[in-house]
Amino acid sequence: MIFNNNKLKTGLLLLTASLFFITACNKDVQQFPVPTPTPVTGIALGETVKATADDSLYYKLIVRSGLLTTLNNTSNSYTLYVAGNAAMRQFVNIASGGLIPIAAPDAVHANFISTQLPASSAGAIVSYNISPQKLLAASIPTSFPNLQFPSIFNPAPQVSALLRLTNFPSRRANGAWLNAFPLKSTDLLAANGVIHHTAALLTPPSTYLWDRINSAPQFALLKASVQRADADPTAPGALQAALLNIGANLTLFAPDTTAFKNALSFLSGGAIPPTAPNANFIGFINTLPIATVKGIVVYHILGTRAFSVNFPTTSTFVPTLLNGAVPTHPGVALQATFVDVPGFGMVTATATVKGAANPTAANVTTKDDHFLNGVIHTIDQVLLPQ
Amino acid sequence: MRKITSYLIACLLANIVSVAVFAQNVTISGNIKNSVTQENASAVSITIKGSNAGTFTDDKGNFSISAKGYPATLIITSVGYEPQELVVRSASDKINVSFVPASTLGQEVVVSASRVVEKIMESPVSIERVSAANIRSAPSVSYYDVVTTLKGVDVVTSSLTFKTPTTRGFVGSGNTRFNQIVDGMDNQAPGLNFAVGSVIGLSQLDVESMELLPGASSALYGPGGMNGTLLINSKNPFKYQGLSFEVKTGIMHTDGKQREPSPYYNWSLRWAKKVSEKFAFKITTELVQAKDWVAVDYRNYKRLGTDGTPIAGTRLTDPNYDGINVYGDETTADIRPILQGIGAQAPFLAPFINTLIGQPLNVSRTGYREADIIDPTTINYKLGGSLNYKLSNNTEAIVAGYWGTGNTVYTGSDRYSLKNLKVGQYKVELLNKNWMLRAYTTQENAGESFNATITTRLTNEAWKKSISFAPDGITPAPQASDWYVQYAQAYLGGKLAGQSNIDAHNGARSVADIGRPAAGSAQFKQLFDKVRAIPIPKGGLFTDKTDLYMAEGQYNFSQFTGGFADILVGANYKKYVLNSEGTLFADSAGTIGISEVGAYAQAIKSFLDDKVKLTLSGRYDKNTNFKGRFTPRASALVKLAEDHNLRLSYQTAYRFPSTQQQWINLDVGGNVRLLGGVDDFRSFYNMDSNPVYTLESVQAGSPQVYQAQEFKPESVTSYEIGYKGLSMGKKLLVDLYGYYGQYTDFLTRRLVAQSKTGSPAGLANSTTRNIYSLPVNINDKVKTYGFGLSMDYRLPLGFNVGANVSSDDLKDVPPGFVSFFNSPKYRFNANFGNNGFGPAKRLGFNVTYRWQDTYFYQGDFASGTVPSFQTVDAQVSLKLPQTKSILKLGANNLLNQYYVNAIGNAQVGGLYYVSFGYNLY
Repeated sequence: MIFNNNKLKTGLLLLTASLFFITACNKDVQQFPVPTPTPVTGIALGETVKATADDSLYYKLIVRSGLLTTLNNTSNSYTLYVAGNAAMRQFVNIASGGLIPIAAPDAVHANFISTQLPASSAGAIVSYNISPQKLLAASIPTSFPNLQFPSIFNPAPQVSALLRLTNFPSRRANGAWLNAFPLKSTDLLAANGVIHHTAALLTPPSTYLWDRINSAPQFALLKASVQRADADPTAPGALQAALLNIGANLTLFAPDTTAFKNALSFLSGGAIPPTAPNANFIGFINTLPIATVKGIVVYHILGTRAFSVNFPTTSTFVPTLLNGAVPTHPGVALQATFVDVPGFGMVTATATVKGAANPTAANVTTKDDHFLNGVIHTIDQVLLPQ
Repeated sequence: MRKITSYLIACLLANIVSVAVFAQNVTISGNIKNSVTQENASAVSITIKGSNAGTFTDDKGNFSISAKGYPATLIITSVGYEPQELVVRSASDKINVSFVPASTLGQEVVVSASRVVEKIMESPVSIERVSAANIRSAPSVSYYDVVTTLKGVDVVTSSLTFKTPTTRGFVGSGNTRFNQIVDGMDNQAPGLNFAVGSVIGLSQLDVESMELLPGASSALYGPGGMNGTLLINSKNPFKYQGLSFEVKTGIMHTDGKQREPSPYYNWSLRWAKKVSEKFAFKITTELVQAKDWVAVDYRNYKRLGTDGTPIAGTRLTDPNYDGINVYGDETTADIRPILQGIGAQAPFLAPFINTLIGQPLNVSRTGYREADIIDPTTINYKLGGSLNYKLSNNTEAIVAGYWGTGNTVYTGSDRYSLKNLKVGQYKVELLNKNWMLRAYTTQENAGESFNATITTRLTNEAWKKSISFAPDGITPAPQASDWYVQYAQAYLGGKLAGQSNIDAHNGARSVADIGRPAAGSAQFKQLFDKVRAIPIPKGGLFTDKTDLYMAEGQYNFSQFTGGFADILVGANYKKYVLNSEGTLFADSAGTIGISEVGAYAQAIKSFLDDKVKLTLSGRYDKNTNFKGRFTPRASALVKLAEDHNLRLSYQTAYRFPSTQQQWINLDVGGNVRLLGGVDDFRSFYNMDSNPVYTLESVQAGSPQVYQAQEFKPESVTSYEIGYKGLSMGKKLLVDLYGYYGQYTDFLTRRLVAQSKTGSPAGLANSTTRNIYSLPVNINDKVKTYGFGLSMDYRLPLGFNVGANVSSDDLKDVPPGFVSFFNSPKYRFNANFGNNGFGPAKRLGFNVTYRWQDTYFYQGDFASGTVPSFQTVDAQVSLKLPQTKSILKLGANNLLNQYYVNAIGNAQVGGLYYVSFGYNLY
């Protein structure tokens, strides 16, 4: 009986075991784990700015701009250019029309930013200082002239959703810049991007190169030259259109009126004295062959946006738009000297540009005049290609 | 030759005429009952000893037979009963036979092993048999599924009604290495070259037996039987008479995992009538309707042109996701050229764009799941019948037809919805005990069948173009309305907003997919239906009206040569007429004919007092496109003792490349075109003047010209040893085999690339090259080996138990060789049942269990590891003798443990049914 009981127990045990075995589910086909996003470490850009004492005014600007949420969105990543409080005070002083002195307490500056500065202006400024994706300093190329990189600022979304104002980080052995402003420090990492500190607050341009040429008295003869060049029946109005095109990216070496008069007087064999009124020279320009004028004008334009800080320290030829027609032309020779301004950074002391046929280099008398579609450096000579 | 022909004709006439004049003069009638259950025993064979006269009991157990006079000895036999002899001395003798069910095993006879009737115990090669009684007692919902429980059998389930069995490896959805012969007719769909599951063929109630020959079997059954041959035989209306029907109603998807619970219907009917001793007919029909199993493998995988294996990633994590059972997402493109185009138009973005395009940005279109596009209703309707006329006691003329239609799904290089597929098989046949003449045709019409992948991709295109092209069809000319242009712009917008890659991709997809027809919406259905009605390549419809014609004959000379050896000869002529109207084959200019002729002979001789039986067979076949091939077979049966037989065999088999491997010309998407292997393709695609290069060398950056080789049939040589024995009072049947095989000129496919420009430089870019998949022979020899063991035991009180285990393996596979071996190393089946127990022995039950090992499945559609699985089927039944009916409650996959047996195929779950059967025998 004991034997039978044992047999029964063994049988039941086997039956139970086999039932467990049979009722076990079939395995599913191999599944792959869904990658879990890397957890965000650290604090976001907006929080980082908030936590940095010397960035308190910029933080106010961010708050005023309404972009704090964007900057604290850890799903996205950005490169944020931040101006420290000293630079912000300079900005407030200018933006207030001088009403708020640079030396005023920070609370006053902060109040101006938070209450007086139009939110739309703050939005434009901050968004112009934000670039999509994380651009570390090491990724900024050292080649001439710079990296044209979009900001998140679209000045005309109704024109195109993909329109962006671009800014121009650059790097050399002696420093790094955003447009013409030194980067005082780089690569402050946040959870959703990186912060580079600028020596001055970068504000977005709002007008075109042509707007400047068209309105500034010192560019009256340049304007006449452009208009003469645009009389080219094969490409009527092409230069003016480019100077008004937001998609263009140009550097214009703009000889002032004096420089033009000197050059044209020489070209007229002294028939028109350098002291003659503009009208005489405009009349003379309109007698010159269109191709000649056009050749000279395009010789003053680079197809890239070179700020003076981007100029090489040794004289180096770079191509101009003339190379589009004459590919073998050496271009213009650029050179700059730099000075390290304490508390600000490395900036250009002198900048020159030399035409191939000019005996001497022209001096940049006013540098880094920034527009939507390029930068103007005012020079004291007309550049001669040959 | 003329002499031989005259001799054969004389023999045939002698057989018909000599017996036609035979006359009888007394009639003996009676009734036969099962001695245990007292049920009428139908289809029992009654013959008069010493004469050719014979008949069968009808569905009431009654019989009537003519004899020369009294006394007459009746020989009463039926499978499953002990044979009886009964002497009838006068007309007044009442003949009520109590027929005793046999309790011993191994008494069945088979025909297919040697094309002559022999006891299964004495078959010289491995063979498995499934009888009508096995089918009645099996829990399987379809007779076709019973094959699964046989040892050495693998089945790939494409869908509920599309199952593909095979033995000894190389299983796939649609198996071109496994013959399926129904009532003597090869029931492959000729355009597809494989049997379309159980979609056509016999109705459940008309199956008398199934015989499975595992392994090489070309020597008797012709090209194709590389891995085995399944022969399904119907019930002769002279023997199986009366009206039978069975109504099965079931439920599937009970857990709502794939679909809402849905009904399963299977209604079958057979009516056979012996009008006279000379004439009988039958009509059979069956209807199956259900919501099909669903292919739900949504894993990401590598596309055609790679190895097709699953990889990590989902629609939300991989922009180039291509789900296995998601279609439309095979369309893929690198969006970098579009981004660069944007950079050219907006130069201020070019430097930023340059930071995004260091690596290819491959993006796939958004797909639709299989469940969203394929009609969920699987339906299968079969209609069949025959007219049988006895020209004499020994010669019967048969005209028969089997027609089937339905919706099902199968997996080829893509998933195909076979919709309103129609296949009919029609034959005329003369059957004599010594010879046979048969002619038949298979008429196929793919109906509204479509390629799910191509149709869905083109539905996407019909809704929104992927990318526009210039009129030359080669140069991209992107338009703002193109899906990829919208995607690239939105992707760039996302990146410009600081988004991560995947967020930008997902955002871009949502933008490009705005207005996308939702799965199941009227808009989607309208678009999809429109595309699937347009023939490939502009739509997804594949037109296949390919037909097959076959004539064959066989003569058994044993009556003349029996003193020396039993000799059998036969011959056949087969013709395929390919007709896809250019949608599948290169037949846009007209149909393509392929002919095959073959002849075979067999000699059987016994030695040493019948202790050794030697069989030699040989067969020669010739195909239009290939040289003739001879396949020999030699086998020996050694009777070690009574009911203990050893069998040894050497078999060869081969197959001509399938009609598709010869003539397919199909753009399967992903920039790949499947081509046939006949030389015409080389000239049509200018491969001699503009060479093709191996794709792997192109991808490796150093293109190597692919050197074409002769396109040949593949063959296998197999050596086998087996044992079949009865012991323990004939209550234990043991069957064991081991085999070793070697494949030569194995047929597979290879991808090559051809430059569209004619210059090898064009190979580098996917837009300037064509990729062809060419059928090729593998020079290396591949070896395969395995074993099988089964044991069946009759327990007391009518219980029976059985189990089998089998194994198949492949070795010497060269590196990089895709074998498509597709066989689990081990599989195991067990069953336990009783067909009559309890009060009046009216109760019955049967439980079957199957387990198979994990294995790596390789297919043209997808590859990957198939996990091991187990499944249990079970049924309980109650006989109602007064109404000659039976009630059954059954379950397939009782525990609803979902499994797949091939990657990309439907997941099979539980099916539970009740059935009422009338007059089942």
